[in-house]
Amino acid sequence: MNNNIVSLKVPFDIQPLSTEFNVKWTPTLVTVDSDGKEHHHTVGFLSPEELIPSLLLGMAKVHFDLNQFPEALAFIEKVLADFPKSGSAAEAIFLRGVSIFKSANNPKALKDAYEQLQAQYPESDWTKRAYPYRLL
Amino acid sequence: MATVMWETELEKALKRAKAENKTALIFFHNPA
Repeated sequence: MNNNIVSLKVPFDIQPLSTEFNVKWTPTLVTVDSDGKEHHHTVGFLSPEELIPSLLLGMAKVHFDLNQFPEALAFIEKVLADFPKSGSAAEAIFLRGVSIFKSANNPKALKDAYEQLQAQYPESDWTKRAYPYRLL
Repeated sequence: MATVMWETELEKALKRAKAENKTALIFFHNPA
C-alpha cells in the first residue's frame, strides 16, 4: 500500500480540514488526489479484509474521476482478484464496466458488469444501479 | 498541534503524492 499511498493522520476536529472533508465521526478515511480533491470517503472501523480493498477502490476512483482508465482498471482488478468477497467488490465490478465503456466506447462492458453483479452479488445496491444495462 | 501546522502537513503530503505519483489518504481519528 505504501507504494501507492501517502497517508496523513489528523485529529478529527481540526479545522478547517474537518469541515472541508465533512468529518462527523471517527475513524473517517478520505482518499484525495494530489490536488486535495476528495474521491472516496469511509466512516467507521474496517477490518483488514475490508480496509485494503476499500483503499484500492479509492485509488481506482481517483484515476477514474481523472479519466485515467487503465490506471483505474489496474486497481479494480486487484480488488476483484484479491478481495472478491469484500464489500468493495460489487462497486469495483460496476466501476470496471463503466471504465471499459468510457475508455473503449464498448456498451457490452456495461451489460457484462450487470450480468456479473446479478450472478455474484444479486442483493448489492450496485446490482440495482446496473439494472438498466441488462438491455444493452 | 496548531491548525496551521495540520494544513502545512496536508500540503506536504499532497506535494509528496504529486511528486511520487501517489494517492493521498487522510485518516481522521479521535486522539482521546
